[in-house]
Amino acid sequence: MANDILVFGEVRGGGIKKITKELIGAARRISTVAGGAIDTALIGAGARAAAEGLTGYGLRTIVVAEDEALARYSTEGYAAVLSDIVKRGAYSYIFLGATAMGRDLGPRVTARADGVMFSDCVDVRMEGNRCVARRPVYSGRAYVEIVRSGERPNFISIRPNNVAPAEPSGGSTPIEAHASNVMRDAIRAVVTEIFPLEGGRPDLTEADVIVTGGRAMKDKANFKILEDLADLLGAAVGASRAAVDAGFAPVAIQVGQTGKIVNPKLYIACGVSGAIQHLAGMRTSKVIVAINKDPNAPIFERATYGIVGDLFEVVPLLTEELKKVL
Amino acid sequence: MTIQGIVFLVLFLAVLAVFGLIVRLLYRILRAAKPENRFDRWGDRIKAVLVYVCAQARVLAKPAGLGHFVIFWGFIFITIGTLDHMLGQVIPGFGLERIVGRRLGSAFILLQDVFGILVIGALAVAAVRRFVQKPERLKIDDPAAPRQAALILALIFVLILFMYGLKGTEILEGSARLTKTNAPVSFSVAEMMRGWHMNVPLANDVFSWGHNLVIFFFLLFIPFSKHIHILGAIPNVFFRNLGRPGSLSHMNFEDESAEKFGVSELGDFTWKQTMDLCACTECGRCQVACPAHATQKPLSPFRVIHRLRAQLMRDKGGLLAKGSDVLKPAPLIPETVSEDEIWACTTCGACMQECPTFIEHVQKIVDLRRFLVLTESRFPAEIQPVFKNMEVNYNPWAIGYSSRADWAAGLGVPLASEKRSFDVLFWVGCSGSFDQRAQKVSRSVVRLMQMAGIDFAILGTEEMCCGETARRMGNEYLAQTQIQANIETLKKYKFNRIVTACPHGLNTFLVEYPQFGLSVPVVHHSEFLLGLLSKDALKARRIETLRGAYHDSCYLGRYNGVIREPRALLSRAARHVAEFGRRGRSSFCCGAGGGRMWMEETLGSRINEDRARELLGLGVDHVFTACPFCLTMFEDALKTLGREDVHALDIAEVLLEACSQ
Amino acid sequence: MKILALLKRVPDTEAKILINQEGTGIKDEGIKYVINTYDEYAVEEGLRLKEKTGGTSTVTVVCAGPEEATELIRTALAMGADDAVHVCDKALERPDPFVIAAVLAKAIKAEGFDIIFCGKQAIDDDMGQIQSILAEMLDIPQVNVATAFELAADAKRATVRRRVEGGDEKVETSLPVIVSCEKGLNDPRYASLPGIMKAKKKEIRKKTLADLGFAQAPGDARSTILRWLPPQKSSGCTMVKAEETRDAVKELVRLLREEAKVV
Repeated sequence: MANDILVFGEVRGGGIKKITKELIGAARRISTVAGGAIDTALIGAGARAAAEGLTGYGLRTIVVAEDEALARYSTEGYAAVLSDIVKRGAYSYIFLGATAMGRDLGPRVTARADGVMFSDCVDVRMEGNRCVARRPVYSGRAYVEIVRSGERPNFISIRPNNVAPAEPSGGSTPIEAHASNVMRDAIRAVVTEIFPLEGGRPDLTEADVIVTGGRAMKDKANFKILEDLADLLGAAVGASRAAVDAGFAPVAIQVGQTGKIVNPKLYIACGVSGAIQHLAGMRTSKVIVAINKDPNAPIFERATYGIVGDLFEVVPLLTEELKKVL
Repeated sequence: MTIQGIVFLVLFLAVLAVFGLIVRLLYRILRAAKPENRFDRWGDRIKAVLVYVCAQARVLAKPAGLGHFVIFWGFIFITIGTLDHMLGQVIPGFGLERIVGRRLGSAFILLQDVFGILVIGALAVAAVRRFVQKPERLKIDDPAAPRQAALILALIFVLILFMYGLKGTEILEGSARLTKTNAPVSFSVAEMMRGWHMNVPLANDVFSWGHNLVIFFFLLFIPFSKHIHILGAIPNVFFRNLGRPGSLSHMNFEDESAEKFGVSELGDFTWKQTMDLCACTECGRCQVACPAHATQKPLSPFRVIHRLRAQLMRDKGGLLAKGSDVLKPAPLIPETVSEDEIWACTTCGACMQECPTFIEHVQKIVDLRRFLVLTESRFPAEIQPVFKNMEVNYNPWAIGYSSRADWAAGLGVPLASEKRSFDVLFWVGCSGSFDQRAQKVSRSVVRLMQMAGIDFAILGTEEMCCGETARRMGNEYLAQTQIQANIETLKKYKFNRIVTACPHGLNTFLVEYPQFGLSVPVVHHSEFLLGLLSKDALKARRIETLRGAYHDSCYLGRYNGVIREPRALLSRAARHVAEFGRRGRSSFCCGAGGGRMWMEETLGSRINEDRARELLGLGVDHVFTACPFCLTMFEDALKTLGREDVHALDIAEVLLEACSQ
Repeated sequence: MKILALLKRVPDTEAKILINQEGTGIKDEGIKYVINTYDEYAVEEGLRLKEKTGGTSTVTVVCAGPEEATELIRTALAMGADDAVHVCDKALERPDPFVIAAVLAKAIKAEGFDIIFCGKQAIDDDMGQIQSILAEMLDIPQVNVATAFELAADAKRATVRRRVEGGDEKVETSLPVIVSCEKGLNDPRYASLPGIMKAKKKEIRKKTLADLGFAQAPGDARSTILRWLPPQKSSGCTMVKAEETRDAVKELVRLLREEAKVV
């Protein structure tokens, strides 16, 4: 078998999404050992323009499909096109982002291609002649390393920020238009409107990142420094019960046993002591950063990373340093 | 018999018949209510009547109670006089002294005569209090109430005037039984009237009839006012809860076709609960003691009782008209009792402690909660995760049950499953197991037991929430599941007693587990550790620099009378230098009981801050607690009040410190 | 309207997940099982839709899982679902998403439906594939990660809001459809006691693979787990220290990016 790989890239605002380069990086890891070519498929409005940005990455072909009917994402439209491309290329591995689109599309196309899919992987590598994917299970309380049985097309979705993005490697990749025959009327579930989060922050219970202030915020106005950090990270702002009780924050953003129960990937607790009532609401966060003056604050017992210091000094610095790298 | 006598007799019998019908109706209401066994321990019940009715022990606990004492006894003597007089109208020549003898009869006459004046004095004080001073606790959200109160006070006053008038005219007519010695006041009245040159026999008749009519009116009016307590209070004291007050009633879930659980209408109450409604004097003492009311929440225990009684009076109509035994089914929630009131209660029991007629408010509140939770699945949103966490992980927080014993890691604490048989089972409880602050208390208790060489064990991950909280939040089904599971576990092991640092667990083991067939000696760690000190198993050196005040936990002090022990323990370990004004059985709740620990306190001000301010007023830098909830509530309040220089410590932490010096 | 809610039995989020000695899976002892969190939203949304549409609408719970799943199905029935189909077969012990989807598809087809609600993923294997595979097998549209659902007046279409990066999408779909539910869609109700009592008498139709017409487990396992690994990071807090606060913050940023990979 040829071990060819298809990378399903994602387009945003006429440019290429970062995950696409990470997927190419992952595909290279496989192809350098297993051989085989890497193709990339880009679907949707602006696909061709975005494809131009990928021509120097040592890909065999970049397939683009940007018909009218594909302007906006739809599971059925995109699945039809991607299935066609997968079928035609007879790929061994198809890499997708573990993004809203990849998670929605991947299993549907897998089913159509009678393939097998590993979702939300954090790492891929070759082991002998097999592509091994590592993925978290039980919400990250364990990991499995998994391989396909047999020769079915293997779809692998990879979480953003886990594999280093590929660097350009020179050369020039041809861009090939895929003539899809997707009929708009045949799509049964259509996106009719998009509500961007612009300005507004995500809802606490759904946010991937949360910045929370405790009693040590001292004043309502001081939440500004948390908001600055939150805006940078696309995060929601929360407050401990103590901060709410003291009138620094509205009860709507209270995190804890009697407030919102949250489960973000990153939780930054600023001046929160970590009483059980608060911990009960956020202790399942994947990564907890605690910033507190008191080295004995119970929050440090739960935190992943801790800084003992004045939050009014640390938080603005953190915003500043993150700005430099994001 | 004279014509007057016949007229009186006819009227008297008619009024008596109507009164009898009313009493019969009340009786039928009680008969129709749900059963409850209060027919045990007759001796203790009679004693209760002697102490709390005759001696008015609880009434006299407050200075204003003296007025009631006087009016109560005055009323008794006057009523005896009234009966004497009324029978005299029907049976010529009848007199009390004929039955009880001259000396005793004469003594009665003297008591009537003197109490008449005392009652007038008490009425004046009562009128001043009610209409001039207007204390908050007497206010009620019923416009008829002040009018009724005024009417009653005025009627008693008029009644006494008639009584003196009657006796005065009797003296003028030359009564043989009234003398200057046994009726000095009446004699003065007679002297006064002598100067009026009136038609004495006519005046006698007027006073007699005035007296009669007032009494008739009384009989007909009493059942429809708060003075129904004249009928309800005495039996209510007689049938009072003689056990420890902290026990909630047991619910039976065997009927799988049941569509309703808990109380949603008057007919769901037991007869004793219904009688409670007729026993309220509306003195408002419960309200003064209520932490919810003190912090501007909508709950006032006696106002709830008042509204329930008002509804009882309205809805009994159905009973009369239909001749059925069913009260008109009308929902109690939200018009009669609002959900905010129902959830504001901390179940601290201060209302029941204060009530002179032994009304049991907490059970009613919990019964209403039971309806909301079990039948309607309606409760403050924040307690749903609490219920779910208890179901899945056996603790109110969403923490895995398998980490229940993690606090004990490295301390060498034996597990019951390893030892099987031991002296003391240390019941750690949810707070002691999971709350990092309370874990320190658990570790202190363990260290002290190890120092004293106690043969103890913990259940570890076999321990489940004791069920207390779920029960008080109205989730009886969940509570029973937990209680039964714990009992199964406890039965596997041989031990002599349970020691717990949580008064809520203590109370539930003491008074509620026996309902489910487990009676095992259980003591609070204050009692247990004091015992170790007394036996010299522990040696403490008092920490002179540790100065604080002890806060009585409701479920320890008020509900279970453990008041002396923590203080005795503290006196050997630290400087217990100050006492709260509200202490012992009259302590003030920290705000966490009745599941309030897991609910938002959005109405009014915060109970824990109220209590913390009282502490700050004592000028000490420590508060000593004996309950994990109180500990949390104090720490939270002190931080919110910006007084992190004042610290809360559990008595076990203090003792460990004193024993480690 | 025939509403289906798919339900899976999974370890509680708080359960201690430990890998067994053979390294072939997790230790089962001490694990509390619950209804998959996201499936609770599915059941609730089904109930709400039933209440809204009234009349002859019913909610049927469909579950493929071990015998022990019965008590969790009862919980969903106590919440108000009308009945349940429980596919319970030893051959499903080590399930593959495709096998489960094939089994569910068969059961669902036999049952008939207008709309299917399910969780966006199961919190044990965290695959999030079943609903899309099912949609393909049943040839119906899918809307994943729903945070709001509304049925059109004609009951033939629905509007669903779904969560995507950086915002929400509004999706118009025809029925029948499968909708996978995200946190925030609703607050699942707490079963009342009469509900619990009634649930004891509601019908759970137990089906084996043979009942569904499978001669053997549908299809082979398409993947092999080579090994199970504990989470990379041990517990305990890394205290980030430096002379200068700025340097500590710089180090923290590095850790967040390179070690935790969360920004």
